[in-house]
Amino acid sequence: MITDKKISVKTTYIFILVAMLILVFILSLSLGSVSVSFGNIINALFGKGSSSSEVIIRGIRLPRVTGGLLAGVGLSVAGVVLQGVMNNALASPNTIGVGSGAGFFVMLSFILFPAKVWLQPLFAFGGALIATLLIFALAYFSDTSRITIILAGITVSSFLSAGINLLKTLNTDIAINLNSFLVGSLSGISFRDIALPSFGIITGFVIAVIMAKPLNMLGLGEDVARSLGLRVGAVRFILLVISSVLAGCVVSYAGLLSFAGLIVPHICRKLFGNDARLLIPCSAILGGSFVMLCDLLSRVVFAPYEFPAGIVMSFVGGPFFIYLLLRRKGGRRVNA
Amino acid sequence: MLEYKNVSLSCDGTELLKNINIGFKKGELTTIIGPNGCGKTTLIQALNGSSRLTAGEILLDRENYLSFKPRIRAERLSFLPQIRQMIPTLSVRSLVSHGRFPRLGFSRKMSAHDKELVEEAMRRADVEKYADQSADTLSGGVRQRAFVALQLAQDCDCVVADEPTTYLDAPSQKQILKIYRNLRDEGRTVILVLHDIAKALEISDRVVVMNDRRIITTGKPDELIGSGIIDSVFGVKLKSFSDADGKYYVL
Repeated sequence: MITDKKISVKTTYIFILVAMLILVFILSLSLGSVSVSFGNIINALFGKGSSSSEVIIRGIRLPRVTGGLLAGVGLSVAGVVLQGVMNNALASPNTIGVGSGAGFFVMLSFILFPAKVWLQPLFAFGGALIATLLIFALAYFSDTSRITIILAGITVSSFLSAGINLLKTLNTDIAINLNSFLVGSLSGISFRDIALPSFGIITGFVIAVIMAKPLNMLGLGEDVARSLGLRVGAVRFILLVISSVLAGCVVSYAGLLSFAGLIVPHICRKLFGNDARLLIPCSAILGGSFVMLCDLLSRVVFAPYEFPAGIVMSFVGGPFFIYLLLRRKGGRRVNA
Repeated sequence: MLEYKNVSLSCDGTELLKNINIGFKKGELTTIIGPNGCGKTTLIQALNGSSRLTAGEILLDRENYLSFKPRIRAERLSFLPQIRQMIPTLSVRSLVSHGRFPRLGFSRKMSAHDKELVEEAMRRADVEKYADQSADTLSGGVRQRAFVALQLAQDCDCVVADEPTTYLDAPSQKQILKIYRNLRDEGRTVILVLHDIAKALEISDRVVVMNDRRIITTGKPDELIGSGIIDSVFGVKLKSFSDADGKYYVL
């Protein structure tokens, strides 16, 4: 009976999350400096609307909202994967410096190959992977506490952020809005910007879903996982590559959006428990809604002016992160 | 039969196992005892493939066990390590079902037979009534039985466990050791590392005594008591008592 009740509660949560995703998606297309009715959105999407509404919906908002949705999916799933692999509830693309690694390499691609936009996701992936492996090696080969790993991640993150600033200072003519990039923004993105990253994010998400069971087994400890026939080293490496692909792809077009990869998995753990088979898809749904909602707020709160979505996310994420740290200090369990 | 042949293992220049030669027979329960740091855990952890042997080989039914793929290893030998973690909110049934992982295909979907084995494992370990409860909310004894159930679900002919009764009260210890004795009675090879010398002598068909990273001796419990080897390795006196229920050893 208890199980049936739990299942029905979780099913209800999933329905609510999906409904929220659809609602936020429609509102994000509708609201902004110019409001577009639901009917006009449909007409514009099918090429039957006025030229102005078609430009707003198909040319501006749809790529932006799709980018937000994919960014939320990418960061949240990367967060779940990193928390599982590092066995650390505070791990996320931003807290362990993966985002900054990707950001630094995106800046490099801006400087070295300014005309080759398609290179940015690849550079971002490379940077994310290097930062991930660096922190993972620190966690794995030293007897370091979980909090120290996060502090090391923050240090790596600060180091790479300084590198980003240095690159921008030395190359004043590169076409990038550094402030928006550093806090993360979805402003002005086109389908061309998200074409390759969306492929990476969707592929990463699918592989993460397939790898959910091995990710769960890592949670039982390395020895148990190994004794159950899991190739622990290979599985860890694949999962780290996936998280780097996901985070790198997001950074390549949205900059250093913060905290989605930390907050969303935690909320989902509260709602659905720690089984990665449910946690990954549910985090993807909630993550998509969360980033789209933050972007929507960044556009409508001071409309017609807008500010980077990353600012809204930091306002929400900062206090949440402190809450997590304080909770750990109090000795209550929040581990992955 | 599981055999260690001239097995040595080193790490960073330190010898962790020194020329181990021993065989574990089918239908026999063997316990490995020895002072802390003598290499008991290292001896059975060598089966896990986490460390590379510096010499020798481990044979399972005359085949080089460590040359098998990890999944094949896990199909033929189950190993319950001492150090484990718990995934919060994971139900006991989900935990136990992990034991079927080595035999699942790419879809990781359990067949009716797999599910039946999981239920049977929970029944044998007496954790059936906790099946839907989060494993991290259970008492130490029940949680340990849940992990033993995971091992039972693996359904291997060779069963190895590292200190499965540590930190447990007497009734829980008895319950868990009974499970391993039943596995022995089914004709499986059972190898346990225990720190409780008296308990090891009480339940084992054969006891392996280790000290300083090597095997000192092996034998039946009574033979070892008679030889005085346990007294010299552990520096304690052992006495045995018998009654209608069996033989007991007291330090």
